[in-house]
Amino acid sequence: MTVASVSNSRMEMSEHASLHFDAWLLLSALGLMVVGLIMIGSASMDIADLKMGQPFYYVIRHGSFLILALVSGLVAYGLPIEWWHKRGWLLLSLALVGLVVVLLPGIGKTVNGSTRWIGFGSLNLQVSEFAKLFLVAYVAGYLARRQGEIADTWWGFAKPLLVIGIAAGLLMKEPDFGATVVIMTAVLGMLFLAGVSLVRFCAVIGVTGALGVLAVLSSDYRYERLTGYIDPWADQFGSGYQLTQALIAFGRGEWFGVGLGNSVQKLFYLPEAHTDFVFAIFAEEFGLLGSLVVISLFVIIVWRALWLGYRASIQGLNYSAYFAYGIGLLLAAQSLINLGVSCGLLPTKGLTLPLVSYGGSSLIVSCIAIGILTRLNAEVAMVENGGQQDISA
Amino acid sequence: MKQEANNVREISQPEGKTSLGRFAFIVSCLAIALSALIFRIVDLQVLDNAFLQKQGDARTVRYEVLDAHRGMITDRNGEPLAVSTPVETLWVNPSVARDPTDSKKDEKKFQEWLNCECWNRVAGLLKMDAQSIRARLQSGANKEFVYLDRKVAPEVAQQVLALGVAGVHSRREYKRFYPAGEVATHLLGFVNIDENGQEGLELAYNDWLAGKAGKATVLKDRRGEVIKELGLVEDAQPGNPLQLSIDLRLQYLAYRELKSAVKAHKAKSASLVMLDVDTGEVLAMVNQPSYNPNNRKRLRVSSLRNRAMTDVFEPGSSMKPLTMAAALESGKFNPDSEIDTSPGYLRFGRSTIRDTHNYGVLRLEDIVAKSSNVGTSKIAIGLTGPVVWDMFYRMGLGQLTGLGFPGEGGGVLPQPYKWKNIQVATLSYGYGLNVTALQLAQSYLVLAADGVKRPLSLLKQENQPQGEQIISADVAHKVRLMLNKVVEKGGTGTRAQVASYRVGGKTGTVHAVGNSGYEESEYKALFAGMAPIDSPKVVMVVVVDAPQGDEYYGGEVAAPVFSRVMENTMRILNVTPDSVGNQGRIAAHGLSSGERG
Repeated sequence: MTVASVSNSRMEMSEHASLHFDAWLLLSALGLMVVGLIMIGSASMDIADLKMGQPFYYVIRHGSFLILALVSGLVAYGLPIEWWHKRGWLLLSLALVGLVVVLLPGIGKTVNGSTRWIGFGSLNLQVSEFAKLFLVAYVAGYLARRQGEIADTWWGFAKPLLVIGIAAGLLMKEPDFGATVVIMTAVLGMLFLAGVSLVRFCAVIGVTGALGVLAVLSSDYRYERLTGYIDPWADQFGSGYQLTQALIAFGRGEWFGVGLGNSVQKLFYLPEAHTDFVFAIFAEEFGLLGSLVVISLFVIIVWRALWLGYRASIQGLNYSAYFAYGIGLLLAAQSLINLGVSCGLLPTKGLTLPLVSYGGSSLIVSCIAIGILTRLNAEVAMVENGGQQDISA
Repeated sequence: MKQEANNVREISQPEGKTSLGRFAFIVSCLAIALSALIFRIVDLQVLDNAFLQKQGDARTVRYEVLDAHRGMITDRNGEPLAVSTPVETLWVNPSVARDPTDSKKDEKKFQEWLNCECWNRVAGLLKMDAQSIRARLQSGANKEFVYLDRKVAPEVAQQVLALGVAGVHSRREYKRFYPAGEVATHLLGFVNIDENGQEGLELAYNDWLAGKAGKATVLKDRRGEVIKELGLVEDAQPGNPLQLSIDLRLQYLAYRELKSAVKAHKAKSASLVMLDVDTGEVLAMVNQPSYNPNNRKRLRVSSLRNRAMTDVFEPGSSMKPLTMAAALESGKFNPDSEIDTSPGYLRFGRSTIRDTHNYGVLRLEDIVAKSSNVGTSKIAIGLTGPVVWDMFYRMGLGQLTGLGFPGEGGGVLPQPYKWKNIQVATLSYGYGLNVTALQLAQSYLVLAADGVKRPLSLLKQENQPQGEQIISADVAHKVRLMLNKVVEKGGTGTRAQVASYRVGGKTGTVHAVGNSGYEESEYKALFAGMAPIDSPKVVMVVVVDAPQGDEYYGGEVAAPVFSRVMENTMRILNVTPDSVGNQGRIAAHGLSSGERG
């Protein structure tokens, strides 16, 4: 193959930059969505029959959300990255206002002791899901603008942390400890990649960790969840109930699972079987093999996002790089925490499994994230192929 | 070319490029977390899954009991006496209406279910009150098992299940049915609703009849509903059948005659025992009052007893043949020996033994025929107490028969340290001891079987059981001839005669024992006898307690029952008649006062 032919093919690709999809990313995301729909069907039918008198209640709703989410993802793909970049402040404001509004009495909806939803008729909007994405978009813009300041001064480093701290405080008020951890992880990761001095970074990590411990100790509910996770069998009919049931689901799965639809734990034994603990039911029905496939799909998505960020940074597309890092870290943190919780590695938190769990807000935001990544990929690829940076604008 | 372009951009925006080290660090952190996750999942799913599966099974796998079919009880000819038929028991799982995942909506859902109109239809089919069903479900609200209706006919159960009410299930059970009803119930007893023997042979042979319940594993969801039948752990082992020695035809016959006699004489109670001479098997055993075992709603406790085996009484004159056996065995007496019974009474200090008449000099056989107390007493005193006692004891009095029947009475045969004459005298004509009707029949069985004592049996015997020679065949034969005299003209038991057969027996009329000693005007009328007398096939004892009215002697009340039952028994058992010419004698039922016993 000659140099000329290589450069020729590159030229051709650049002409079709908008068609430059990341097949790995898209197929993995699609795979997870299919798994999600099937598993919600399997896990929720009996619960839906009992609660709603309609076994397909949750499947139909989830299917509708899926269509809505795919449209949202498509729209996000259609939006140039510059569109997000320019609206950093707007997105920040939306996130903070949303997090305040959900706490207002009479507006926020409380389920299981947490006020996380704003109701619109039969649809409930989970503010924290959108807030996570918007905050990451804002922080990416900040980092792109103040590259030098962040690396060299305390103030440059502290400013985004203050903003995120406010958001975290609001999230803790709901309370939504899980979302707080996810957003903190993503933002700290972004700051680290942006070149914050290690001394400062370690200091902040220490303070955040201390705050986290304080947060755990300040609430009986969180403390109970924490102790319940260390030895769930000690109080298997109390605080450890949900986790023990989830662990039993894993144990039943063995290598190849009990087969689709044959889970026993979903029959009212495991609470939240179709939402936060859907992976446990999946592991029961599809075994270790299925578990590893799903984990691999997440690994592919996260890796593609992070690698995309690195590629963008090489091309000097700083905003795109941080945005991709942020989304990758959000997805990584949320999926790791959800999976860790369902198999008892981490204390129980109300976090959904992105693209899989039942829940419209989570699904829509996840699809938007995938849409943004796809757009980022197309734009970065175009630049890599020698196109102009401003083509995307 | 690319290299060039990169260089240009790195120069223009030197701060932009992410440090490869930091990128690698972040990726490594994620990889470490991922490894921990994968290790954990591998551990849970394939390395340590035994513990988790055990825990899971402890919560979800339940055993269900499979009822075993209880063995059938039949009579000696295979006629069914107790049969278990399959029925359905309807039960409800109230937890089915509960929402275990939502404690707030839980109670509301339960009430919705409870107030469902469908319960009215269920109640209608089962002929129950809908409100009482709801009350029962409410009180069992937190349970997973509440009986709706037990032992329902299968077609009714099908209709109820077809209504499709959530949580209503059925399970197979068996219901015991007794085709012979009140006729055989004292022997058979009955079972409770769980098919466990409570009385009679059902109780005595419960382990044999019951079989072994099976076990099946099922998977249940958290509300207690069965999701899946996992399989059979062990199949139900049906119980063993039991064939009784009873002949249902004789049992019916005896029951009918005894019942009509009780009715005619307004008696309190009565028993009849019939034994097979060759084998010691019980051919019939009936009592009054009885009850219907298939419907025990209005059952009176006094009707429950199998009086022939549980109730003891003083046998009175029916012991005289046993005293005679002792006399003949001693060699001091023979049937023709003469005893002077004048003046018709005998004094022992303040006590006096009387005959109804002054019979003067009587031969041994006449003493039995006339039932002379004085004559019997004189013989017994001549023999001494221990000799009489020993005969009674060898005949099985004062000991359990060994049938193992629940609540069987053993009777009392007192053995004084030092015998007084009055004690010897009263024992010889049947006072101062007590026996059951079955024990009395057993002692006559020895006389009938030429002196051989065989174990009694309520179960059909394939072979003749090994017996023990208690008295010589000669003595037994001689006593039997005396018993025949009793039913001949001039004896006390003429009304026991049977057309075409020579029979023998002994009457007895004893004062009933009340709260303050003997009752003046309450009696037990007895007759113990056998047929045919030369080679007896059947021994029968009839006891009628407290007959009211003019007739109360054993010869008047019990002997006619013996006659009627024995006559039909001989025909049913195809026993060859031994006295074709005696049809005329049966009419000679007239009883002079002297023939009363």
